[in-house]
Amino acid sequence: MTSPSERRLRKEFLELIKNPIPGVIIDGEKIEKNINEWNVTIIGAEGTIYQGETFELQFLFNDKYPFDSPSVVFIGKNIPEHSHIYSNGHICLSILSQDWTPALSVGAVCLSIRSMLSSATKKERPPDDLIYTKTCSKNPKKTKWFFHDDNV
Amino acid sequence: MSTTSDLSVNETLPDSTASIEEEHASTSEIDQTHRSSTQYSFTPTAENSKTSTKPDAAKKDDEDDEDKRDDSMFVCNICLDIAKDSVITFCGHLYCWPCINCWLETKRPQLCPVCKAAISRNQVIPLYGRNSNSQQDPRSKKIPPRPQGQRTEPDNNQGFQGFQNFGDGGFHLSFGIGAFPFGFFASSFNSFNFNDIRPRNGQQPGSPQYEEDQFLSKVFLWVAMIFFCWLILA
Ligand SMILES: [Zn+2]
Ligand SMILES: [Zn+2]
Repeated sequence: MTSPSERRLRKEFLELIKNPIPGVIIDGEKIEKNINEWNVTIIGAEGTIYQGETFELQFLFNDKYPFDSPSVVFIGKNIPEHSHIYSNGHICLSILSQDWTPALSVGAVCLSIRSMLSSATKKERPPDDLIYTKTCSKNPKKTKWFFHDDNV
Repeated sequence: MSTTSDLSVNETLPDSTASIEEEHASTSEIDQTHRSSTQYSFTPTAENSKTSTKPDAAKKDDEDDEDKRDDSMFVCNICLDIAKDSVITFCGHLYCWPCINCWLETKRPQLCPVCKAAISRNQVIPLYGRNSNSQQDPRSKKIPPRPQGQRTEPDNNQGFQGFQNFGDGGFHLSFGIGAFPFGFFASSFNSFNFNDIRPRNGQQPGSPQYEEDQFLSKVFLWVAMIFFCWLILA
């Protein structure tokens, strides 16, 4: 018997295969091997400062998914330079922590990250990048984020 | 630290606010769909369809597609299966009772996962279809039973007014003393005499709580009978 979290992940997987999101590519082969770990490629949207770039996201799910949010980080060499993305790949995005709800999905998170990239006008790291990347836990979910609306 | 709190993506969800009557009409269909789809299979089927990324151009030539769209109205917003033991929030979002209950126990404040409206255990309405027989529901799960639908008796003004009042709890008042055992006596008396076995206080027939209640009522009925006999003999 598959667990409820795996069952739901399979449904999301099938849905993304059937109705792919533009600019979001999932690694189906890897997912079929381990449904709890997804690698997703995000393509920088046309007409934005990330146009032509590709970034890799890693989703890790635990058995409490979708009640517990996935851990989502950028991995690989190319970490987008963005005021909410730290150089270690951690993303400061409220739906990945306190604003997560089980009605969200991998697709919704990808869309949100993509629109976060698209709305950026300047390539820059968060002001506390150095301190954060030196002191943070490996797991972004262990970070207590403080969100204040600064409209980026 | 920096932020992006305004980026949450709200999925476009099927318009579950459509009239409840409509939903009642087709729930029996769902029951059947659900039975045949409980076993997981890798082939994309109707219940795998989420509307969020669906192209809005309706393909009217494809009847199958039409069916899928209909079904997706009844997909639980959490497990993405056809909702089972379905409940609907006041904001109109559909869930399985086990799914939404799990979320309500996970996070405070209690918010609707789809629209973030404030919700609570008492602010969901169960959906009963034609064939959804609550008797055969597996209520023995370790979660609280699905809340009952609220039912208001229509005003019934013809004849036998007094008798009805008597049956509906006037009995409690008429004794006035020893309220505790008599209260139980009265309620069991009601059910014995009028075949009124509606579950009270939102309890399900068959749930442990209900059975305990039934047992207690019976015990108190006998205690009360003995007390009466004693009163008469003394
Ligand atoms: Zn569900
Ligand atoms: Zn809602």
